[in-house]
Amino acid sequence: MEIRRGVWQVRADDALMKELDGWRSQGRLLQFTFDRGLASAYGADLIGPGSYRLNTLLNLIRRQGVLSQAHIPHHFFYEPNIRRKVVTSSSSGERAYVLTSSSLYGQYLQLELLAEARGLQKKESLHTVTVNLSSGEILKFPLPAHLIQGGGVDPALVVKRKCSLKNAYLSAAAHVAGAIAEQGQEWAQEALESMAAETEKLNAFFQGRSDSAEYEAKLQELQRRMQPVLAIDAVRGAVIYAPLFRYRLVVVDAQARERTKTVTYDPIANLHELDQ
Amino acid sequence: MLQFVPCFTGPTHKQESPTVLQEDSAGLYKVEIRGTGFKRILSHWRAKRWDGWSWYQLAKRADSLATAQNRSAGLLAVEHLQERWAQTGVVPYEHQIRTAERVIHEMQGQAILADEVGLGKTIEAGLILKEYILRGLAKKVLILTPASLVWQWYHELYEKFGITAGIQRTQWDWQFADILIASIDTAKREPHASIVSSLIYDLVIVDEAHKLKNSSTASYRFVNSIQKKYCLMLTATPVQNDLKELYNLIGLIKPGQLGSYQSFKARFMEDKRTPKNPTELRKLLDQVMIRNRRDEGQVRFTARIVHPLVISLDPKEQDIYNRVTEFVKAQGRRTGLSNMLPLITLQREVCSSFLATALTLEKMMGNMQGPELEQAAALLKNLAEVKQNSKCDALERLVSQIDDKAIIFTEYKASQEYIRYRLEKAGYRTLAFDGSLSRGKKQWVRHMFQREAQFLVSTESGGEGLNFQFCNQVINYDLPWNPMRLEQRIGRVHRLGQTRDVHIYNLITKGTVEEHIMYLLHQKINMFESIIGELDAILLHLNLGKSFESELMKIFLEHERSDRIKESLDQIAEQILQGRAEIEASSWEGLL
Repeated sequence: MEIRRGVWQVRADDALMKELDGWRSQGRLLQFTFDRGLASAYGADLIGPGSYRLNTLLNLIRRQGVLSQAHIPHHFFYEPNIRRKVVTSSSSGERAYVLTSSSLYGQYLQLELLAEARGLQKKESLHTVTVNLSSGEILKFPLPAHLIQGGGVDPALVVKRKCSLKNAYLSAAAHVAGAIAEQGQEWAQEALESMAAETEKLNAFFQGRSDSAEYEAKLQELQRRMQPVLAIDAVRGAVIYAPLFRYRLVVVDAQARERTKTVTYDPIANLHELDQ
Repeated sequence: MLQFVPCFTGPTHKQESPTVLQEDSAGLYKVEIRGTGFKRILSHWRAKRWDGWSWYQLAKRADSLATAQNRSAGLLAVEHLQERWAQTGVVPYEHQIRTAERVIHEMQGQAILADEVGLGKTIEAGLILKEYILRGLAKKVLILTPASLVWQWYHELYEKFGITAGIQRTQWDWQFADILIASIDTAKREPHASIVSSLIYDLVIVDEAHKLKNSSTASYRFVNSIQKKYCLMLTATPVQNDLKELYNLIGLIKPGQLGSYQSFKARFMEDKRTPKNPTELRKLLDQVMIRNRRDEGQVRFTARIVHPLVISLDPKEQDIYNRVTEFVKAQGRRTGLSNMLPLITLQREVCSSFLATALTLEKMMGNMQGPELEQAAALLKNLAEVKQNSKCDALERLVSQIDDKAIIFTEYKASQEYIRYRLEKAGYRTLAFDGSLSRGKKQWVRHMFQREAQFLVSTESGGEGLNFQFCNQVINYDLPWNPMRLEQRIGRVHRLGQTRDVHIYNLITKGTVEEHIMYLLHQKINMFESIIGELDAILLHLNLGKSFESELMKIFLEHERSDRIKESLDQIAEQILQGRAEIEASSWEGLL
């Protein structure tokens, strides 16, 4: 609640205070303000760039949400349209009708990745990549956020994934590395040029002693400091269950011969998949 | 509604290196795909530990915000420290921020910080350290200093930068503390040296780096053997007698920056004190060394005005003073100079208050027996009988003339209580400030002093870095024998942000050891008006830091006559003045 203009008060319990300020802290009333003047006048915690309280809050929040799950309900998609699409997608001269249908879920892994490009300076960037765990492919577009709802689904309705989590992570990381490479490599070029100049100086200094342990150590020091590296790590992830519509069809060809086939339609990828 | 999930992630003491799942080369650079974060996600998956979707989304936003903060082009540390600096009254100079920016953005963390004395090299190093920590570039840090500066570094880092460093005590500390302050003399000895050399540090800071000017010393070889990514060397005197010293120092930071020694000699040395091609040499030095000078006008302090107030003791007080001094001397002769600390305390206390002296004497009596104990008991009885306190009378007279706030410094708690008792009785509002107060209470006392009370009676001269610039009167009720402590007392009010001249009142009792101390500090070395930080540098240069008090006590024990004491003090003063001259002579005009 706002206890005076520009100053808000909340009660933080013991557990929250311990997370914020360390294990010796106890629950108390916390007062916040966004104004430096009010912070010093009333002793309220300042929330602003670099402020202690903002950083403790950010750190606490960033420790949460390591792995979450969400789903996109089937009802967001108009099933009769999908059914029509599936039925009419047979090759020419064939007719198909639906024998049975079921609504299932496919698994997508959404990963948030932190990329650190370390050359002479360090540049960080965050990337969200979604991997289809059925095909192992990277989704070219993000899943529509407004359709996603928190929580899991009935495990019996989930189609088994074909791609391991590790492979999904590796391909997501490779995708990010590719995206960064496309943005340009000046940062690495610059670091390599500086490193070459420094190595030259080092070689001149250790002339005739370049097989010494000291030279080796100094060279390693130089590399640690200047060697351009792109480090990618996962920050958090979420499994998103997206709807799949599976139909068992009876297909009748021009000679009136009947056969059955199972088609799974993925409305997110807009793909039909023939299961058998 | 977000449901909070406690994590209880405390600080880790392990040196963690990230797991690299895959390493590729993408043209010009290496690509490391790390497994640290992924393993965390995997462990949640296996444990079926699902966090709420709202937390996930909120955490993603927090990630973006934190990453955006880290993208700032200037110094993150300045933004992060604003709040702390506002509380502690730290106002960084522009040249300090500029220096930190240059070291980080242009010098890749390899630099000699060679500012002239008093311009705040420690602050610059602290800023750089904080910046590297915030940017996630430094985790394992080693700070090597002379033993006498270990605690000073600890306090500075904590108070000014919110960095809690460890102080090295055992050989286990090297591995387990992420940020460690250690005495260079300890570190270079075995088994420590081998342990340190086996570790990889992100940043190494060496204070008083001029001690590494000789490449054949153990200290030099030790620092050279440390595996480090970034390295800062702090010294006001990067070269003193020989240009080779400068060459050696730079060799530690960037070997090859000045070529091989032969080529350096040929290109840049006329003789060992005269540089050749100074412009070219300066260009090369500029790439690894930053030297800010006082005359560049970045630092302006108001004046210090010293008022010595000489107080005559009444005959009874003089008599008891003489008897205590005699007792101290007799004890000193008997026990030798090895166990001097209690005697130094007693001799100093008798100039402050008899109450403090009596309390110490009573404590000392626990270890005495026979005639010695009887003598001490008699002395204690006499001390208790003295009701007169000429010094406190003089203080009362002085404060009645000061129509302003003042900080009264004393070394002893008993004196502090007595002063407060007398001043309160005389109708003044006083507050006590001492080292036992928690940080919060100190802040509160400061606040009350600013708003309510007229006098703050403090036993603590430095350390906590609290800002008292609103006050410009300092009363030294007694004098610490160590000039560094005296400097810290004055530094409480005479610092950046002080807009008025600072008045320093020194209460000196005539015919006591205080008179001699005052003679040395004020008349001989002009300590009160010297440049801030200069005396520290001189005492360190002369290796006199901690032993200064013992040196004085030796003189007082060895000599009876006042003129002989003065002669010995003159010698110490001469040494200090010579040290000052040496430091000034090392300015290497035109080169540094």
